[in-house]
Amino acid sequence: MFISTPHVKRLAMAGAIAGVASLFLAGCTTTDDLETPAESGGTVRIAEVNELSSFNTGTADGNVDINNQLDYFTQGDFFHLDDTASLVYDEGFGTVELLSEDPLSVKYTVNDDVVWSDGESIDADDMLLGWAAQSGYFDDADAEATVGTTYFSPAGSTTGLDQMAFPEVGDDGKSITVTYSGPYADWTLFSPMSVPAHVLAEQAGFEPDGMIAILEAATEGNVDAPVETNADLRAVADFWNNGYATSSLPSDSSLYLSSGPFVVSSWDPAQSVTLSVNDTYTGDLSPVGIDQIVVRFIGDANAQVQALQNGEVDIINPQASADTLSSLEALTGVKVLTGDTGSYDHVDLNFAAGGVFADANVREAFLKTIPREQILDAIIRPLDPEAELLNSQIFFPGVNGYDEATSTNGSDAYDTVDISGATALLAGATPTVRLAYSNANTNRVDAFLAIQASAAEAGFIVVDGGLPADQWGDALALPETWDAFIFGWSTVGAGVLGVPQLFDSASDSNFGGFSDPAADALMDQLLATTDADTQVELQVGVEKALWAGGFGLPMYILPGVIAFGPNVDGIEYSPWQTGPIWNFWDWTMAA
Amino acid sequence: MLSFIVRRVFVSALLLLGASFIMYILTALSGDPLEELRGSRDPNRAQLIQLRSDQLNLDVPAPLRYFGWLAGAAKCLIPMADSCDLGVNILNQPVTGLIPMALDSTIQLITGATLLAIVVGITIGIVSALRHNTGFDYSVTFIIFLLFSMPAFWIAVLLKEFLAIGFNDFLAQPVISLPAILGIAVVAGIIWQAMVAGPRRRRVIVFVISGLATTALLVFFNLSDWFRNPGLGAVMIAVSAFGVAVLVTGLIAGFKDRRAMTTALINAGLAVIAYFTLQNLFDMSSWATISILAVATLVVGLASGWLVGGDDRAVSMRIGAITAVLSGGLLLIDRFMQSWALYSADRAIGGRPIATVGSSTPTLDGDIWIMGIDTFTHFLLPTISLTLISLAGYTRYVRSGMLDVLDQDYIRTARAKGLDERTVIVRHAFRNALIPLATLVAADIGAIIGGAIITEQVFAISGMGQLFIRSLSNVDPNPVMAYFVVVSIVALIANLIADLSYAALDPRVRTH
Repeated sequence: MFISTPHVKRLAMAGAIAGVASLFLAGCTTTDDLETPAESGGTVRIAEVNELSSFNTGTADGNVDINNQLDYFTQGDFFHLDDTASLVYDEGFGTVELLSEDPLSVKYTVNDDVVWSDGESIDADDMLLGWAAQSGYFDDADAEATVGTTYFSPAGSTTGLDQMAFPEVGDDGKSITVTYSGPYADWTLFSPMSVPAHVLAEQAGFEPDGMIAILEAATEGNVDAPVETNADLRAVADFWNNGYATSSLPSDSSLYLSSGPFVVSSWDPAQSVTLSVNDTYTGDLSPVGIDQIVVRFIGDANAQVQALQNGEVDIINPQASADTLSSLEALTGVKVLTGDTGSYDHVDLNFAAGGVFADANVREAFLKTIPREQILDAIIRPLDPEAELLNSQIFFPGVNGYDEATSTNGSDAYDTVDISGATALLAGATPTVRLAYSNANTNRVDAFLAIQASAAEAGFIVVDGGLPADQWGDALALPETWDAFIFGWSTVGAGVLGVPQLFDSASDSNFGGFSDPAADALMDQLLATTDADTQVELQVGVEKALWAGGFGLPMYILPGVIAFGPNVDGIEYSPWQTGPIWNFWDWTMAA
Repeated sequence: MLSFIVRRVFVSALLLLGASFIMYILTALSGDPLEELRGSRDPNRAQLIQLRSDQLNLDVPAPLRYFGWLAGAAKCLIPMADSCDLGVNILNQPVTGLIPMALDSTIQLITGATLLAIVVGITIGIVSALRHNTGFDYSVTFIIFLLFSMPAFWIAVLLKEFLAIGFNDFLAQPVISLPAILGIAVVAGIIWQAMVAGPRRRRVIVFVISGLATTALLVFFNLSDWFRNPGLGAVMIAVSAFGVAVLVTGLIAGFKDRRAMTTALINAGLAVIAYFTLQNLFDMSSWATISILAVATLVVGLASGWLVGGDDRAVSMRIGAITAVLSGGLLLIDRFMQSWALYSADRAIGGRPIATVGSSTPTLDGDIWIMGIDTFTHFLLPTISLTLISLAGYTRYVRSGMLDVLDQDYIRTARAKGLDERTVIVRHAFRNALIPLATLVAADIGAIIGGAIITEQVFAISGMGQLFIRSLSNVDPNPVMAYFVVVSIVALIANLIADLSYAALDPRVRTH
């Protein structure tokens, strides 16, 4: 049989191609065997609305709920706040000792065996850095920041903390002692823990000892005599301020070291963060039988509910709405917990002379007409059927002091609408009230309409002062444009510094100009009191003055909802920043 | 031509500049970026507000702030300088880091849906044009418009409820009940007979055959526990591959072309042989292996067409390549199915494979087959939801284009000169009906990059749409602007390409 040359060529070519291709193929295969995942431990998957944005929660930018929650899993500390916003000390991490009350002197000692997850021990260097970052010790900028330098940008206020002198290091570098030059009421909430000092030093371009030397060499800032910016300190502070903000897992793992029960093991941007057990952790806050925590970022509330229903997540923490609650309650095998959050809306009155509320009778009459129960029913109860009226300007339900305050502050006079009482107080007058609020916030629009209708029955003419979202905030500071204002505050529950912030005659955030010398005196005393029981007593006193003076009325606390599926047990509700994870060490995998 | 392009690019640049200014002002004026801080009871409220104001330059009026942004953005035009500065968002994250991630998720999400919508849309459009004003046409039009007018989030919720949660529940006891089988069979029969159409006798036969085939298939699924251990197996692969071969030949060359048919059948046969020989290679494959195999398949398809094709090599090569790639695809699908049971039983999946949120299962680890299935289970619902919504546009476009073309004189001429119906429709009508689609596809490419705000939100896939809407609700101009610039540049380029391709495709159009 004759075989033509072209055919042979074609066959040879095909053979050659096949040969080359198989060589390629052999080079491109993978021989990795499938690793069977450990079947022993358990994974808890939590849905969160927002994505992680920083590994330094001490900064103003980084201090958002989701970062704090990750921090809560991964960072050991001297104490944490529980579901009643009370301090709980963690003996497994270290101890806090009050050495003396006058002058206020506190010693922080880290336990010997406590280390960062890279093996470096946690010691006084780390605490010195945490102190430097939060205290504003080196800052010499004036209020307008026109001269001088502000180095670190911590999330918290430096007022009061700036009274600390440079700490003394003791116990072979395992403790620091800070001494305040004056009284400081919230000293218990200060913790000198922040990011690891040895990492920050390296990132800012120094030796670990070198950075501490920089802190030691730098002079205390004096606002009245600002000096030239300390370039080394500037470099350290800049990295502390900005170096930890990120939108994906940093390639340098030292930027997310752990000192807590868990450590970040992976971060799939915009999807999830996975935490695994921190092998170097020596404390007692590890949950039994749980070796993995997955935090998934799911913004949509309904998507969170369906993901829970489909078993893709175990715990959800969606934005509360009546729809979310009803669809959750329709699910079988899912437990739903509702409760308060740290945000509440309230009506404040403007005390300016010449204004409609300069007269105490008019104030009382107006507050008597506010249908708080009706507003609560309409806005909050569909989301949290057990919601109660907020009856304190200072305390939150469940927090130490709330019951004492509400039983003595005279708030019961405003439990129900009292039109006849209001009419009598007005004695025939028909005052005009300009009631301002943000009209982008439907809750506040509803509250306004209810107040307007109710107040009209007593003779008030309530003028609609609704403002768009971008204007109401500025209008707050212009009290000449309003007589009453519906707006919200949010609080972390602990600490007393916020009290004079809102109610002191001279404070910027006391927008309505409420002024009571007796209350001011109590608040001055409050700032100088370090004893918790006395603090509550003083605040109850302030509370009475606020209600007697007709400061305004708190209305409702915004509700929250969490739900969890059949895989986990031990989840409890908390209104505060750590939300459903506040007691994660008590979680267990359900059988 | 060159002057046309230059003019277009120049005008586009001016347009972009003006639009970006308006966009910046609108975003900056849309709300109060300090809102959440204003409600803070912290003692240092004033400092926090000051800090954020400084960070976002809020002291400067918005129109002036725009020029600050523009100066930073202009640096992105310097090649290789790496000095691109699109600012930071409200959380102090650099925007240049946010865009690539968002773009990545979006492209993953929408490319598949758009391609699917184009392919399915064109098919349905052609069929309903050929069967226009019949029950099939009316039903399709009704359904398409129904889907088109359904809100995206609603479709998504329904899909999650029935396709994900419902199907996962079903997997606990994967047996279809007898009434359900009969119902599905009847519906399938009705659809097939409507598509085939023709005289009553033919319709009845098609109805009965397709109904019986569906019943048989479902009963087989029940008996073999197919939903937990799916697979095509040698028989189904062989049947499907030869089916593909016949279909492709019929569509492209007609059954009379024996060389084309031979090529197609050779490739189908090779696919069956490959099924038996490649399994071990598949087991240890990486994506690179699969890519090489895909190229090899294409080469084999082309080569077989070239060898067998004779006088009409081009047609045979085309048929060879299409048959080879399609039947190769069957092998891949079969291999994915083989890993399904393993995937489903994984600790991270827990027997509920179809996902409702996200683009991957955290903590899942496995070979390309496991990870491929994971991507499939996550993108299945969003892809279906996007496809259903955008189907209407393509279907209606193709249907009317096709009807328009079928009415033209040259079609009548083609028929008059004795060409068979297949040639008239595939060669003469279909190609010309597709020309107007170039515009639609180009516009859609712009839309792909823009993301799908609602679908991304409901399925928790943080793409461009989410980046845009979140930043807008935070009154955060920098990410909004980055989004805007990327999307509008892509849209402008896509439109330019559409105009040029239009001129290339349709000789009646000239660019001046």
